[in-house]
Amino acid sequence: MAKQATEEISKVDPVNTDGRGLNGVARLATALLRRREASIALVAILLLFYFQSVNDAFLSQGNIRGLAQSGYATAIIACGLVMLLICGEIDLSVGSVMGFTPIIVYLADQEFVFPVAVIVALIVTSLVGLLNGVITVYLRVPSFVTTLGTLFLLTGLNVSLTDGFPKPAPEESTLTRILGGGPYSGIIWALIVVLLMHLLLTRMRWGLHTFAVGGNLVGASEAGVRVNRVKIGNFMLCSVLGGLAGIMEAIRINSVDPLAGGPNVMFLAVSAAVIGGTALAGGSGTIIGAFFGTAVLTILRNGFTLQGVSANTFNIILGISILVAMTLNVYVGRLRRTGRT
Amino acid sequence: MGTVRGWASGGALWVEGGPEVGKEDFAPLGFSSSRFSRRDLLRRAAVGGAVASIPFLAAACDEDEGGGGGGSGDSSASVGNFPETPDYNFVFVNHVTTNPFFVPTIYGLQDASALLGIPEPQWTGSETSDVQEMVDAMNTAVSGDADGIAVAVVDTEAFGGPIQDALDAGIPVVSYNADGTGLGSTARLAYVGQDLYGSGFEMGKRIVEDVGEGPVVLFIATPGQLNIQPRIDGAADAIKESGAPIEFEEIPTGAELPEELSAIEAYYNGHKDVKGMYAVDAGSTQGVAQIMEKFDLAAAGVKAGGYDLLPETLQLISDGHMDFTIDQQPYLQGFYPVFQLFVYKISGGLSGVAETNTGLLFVTADNVAGYLETESRFEGDAEEQKILEPAT
Repeated sequence: MAKQATEEISKVDPVNTDGRGLNGVARLATALLRRREASIALVAILLLFYFQSVNDAFLSQGNIRGLAQSGYATAIIACGLVMLLICGEIDLSVGSVMGFTPIIVYLADQEFVFPVAVIVALIVTSLVGLLNGVITVYLRVPSFVTTLGTLFLLTGLNVSLTDGFPKPAPEESTLTRILGGGPYSGIIWALIVVLLMHLLLTRMRWGLHTFAVGGNLVGASEAGVRVNRVKIGNFMLCSVLGGLAGIMEAIRINSVDPLAGGPNVMFLAVSAAVIGGTALAGGSGTIIGAFFGTAVLTILRNGFTLQGVSANTFNIILGISILVAMTLNVYVGRLRRTGRT
Repeated sequence: MGTVRGWASGGALWVEGGPEVGKEDFAPLGFSSSRFSRRDLLRRAAVGGAVASIPFLAAACDEDEGGGGGGSGDSSASVGNFPETPDYNFVFVNHVTTNPFFVPTIYGLQDASALLGIPEPQWTGSETSDVQEMVDAMNTAVSGDADGIAVAVVDTEAFGGPIQDALDAGIPVVSYNADGTGLGSTARLAYVGQDLYGSGFEMGKRIVEDVGEGPVVLFIATPGQLNIQPRIDGAADAIKESGAPIEFEEIPTGAELPEELSAIEAYYNGHKDVKGMYAVDAGSTQGVAQIMEKFDLAAAGVKAGGYDLLPETLQLISDGHMDFTIDQQPYLQGFYPVFQLFVYKISGGLSGVAETNTGLLFVTADNVAGYLETESRFEGDAEEQKILEPAT
């Protein structure tokens, strides 16, 4: 697993042993196909073609906007979950955090000005992550159980803090337009987060330590990695990203909904991460893959809704498609690996 | 290893001596560093076939639904007196798509669309009252050029924008079952459903009539939820307006049936002098009826009533433990919107939509027999099309 990590970081070199040179395009193509995310990216592109062929409204401007708006929150949350999954942990509460943070923004907005309210809410959210991390790391409760507890805690808090009633979203301002109000602001944020997290994971020490903690906890600890700090830090990072996604969703739909987020979003994000190539057991993962995994899931859901599939058969078709897409992903991945000399 | 040179030889696919061909054989194709084997090729064909089968699966699953697609396509033959129309594609957006309460609604929209010769409307939205999913579904319907949208407006703020966007795109929008904070709160063309506040008000008047004076409790599953809160508001206002000496309390019970039952029982145990127990949602109504039965409160003169037609509720009304429940006719909440949107489309927007109150029918021991004895599409418990005889 650490070996795979170094493979991603090192340069890919499609050397031709018999001396015949490949032209630049073929070399680039081979290099791209070598990357582990290639398989899921290929699946995403195939799905795009399929849905566009079935319904030419799929790639209309309005629907692209719809795709961007329904997928960005999952993408952002998936990034945070990838970091945790690599460490060997999981955060089930991130969906409830998505509903929690906008409520804190709403409450803080009564006291402070909006930008300060956002900062306050994100700080409170990071404390949720801190709680998750401390209980998991120091009290040695498995993260599944810890975050299950915080999931229920936050779900209950969300309803009590708002008396079950949806509250109005913050008034429109430049900041709200940046934070989800503008039609493409969400997807731009998602792309920025994906880029930054990818750099964090692959180019910075934090990412290396995260892989180390996930790959070999004892070895990493012996080697001097601050294991506890890495885990707690990743929990906080995951929660803050969930909170950010939650604020943007609340602004987008113009309502602070106590029932927002929830386990479904968390499941989708974990699925996106796993579909993208992150191992559930820990030790390896990819942010770019999680982004394409989110794309696959979003395209499937949006595409089938656009095609007119009704709720009762929707889940059947979605389930079958996910299985097929994943099988394809695994086989293309295997092909990629057998292609190595 | 192989003695035959892969593709370059006279097309032999099987290689003697082993399944692998040397990588140098593929150099002209640019795949110098991959190895293809028969096994890999077969696998890839299988996987490719599996991917290619998705569209056929989707089409097969859609066939029984009449295959709704984005945008009006071919036209249907004219039905009745109506002219030939395109295959109007209507979309119903719902907050709890798989909740059994809406099964009659689905039957209603199926029957209406069959009558009008248009494809069955798409039934989509969220399974868990997730407003974001509902908004996404509405936006997808707009991008897909739906011909009409019916939406349960469970959140005024969230749906205001999408409804206006749909109207701006020339798509008529009606609301059903829930209407946000009422007429004028969103730009929807009409509401088809129970007059929530009005029905609560009628219930309040009935409470005043039945109970007269004393402590009364009003149970609500989740306060603030926009398809039930107006009912309790109406009841409270009616009681206050009447000036009757009734002290009433509004108590939340929770969203799930078992916890509602526990909450109601706990309340009763703490308030044994209550003279009337009423509820404004299906689950709490059943809970009240069950507590009335458990402690035999009807015989002691306690009055009770509620909403919706859960089978247990109907049975207990028949047995005399509860005085009434209120039917909002979910079948009509699917049936009428289809007609309204259809007439709106064929009249070019001049006609079609109208505020429609689907129900304030008090179901009491006098008329409950019909509901109990029959299973029908209209109540959602049977799929068969048949004519029902009125109960004797």
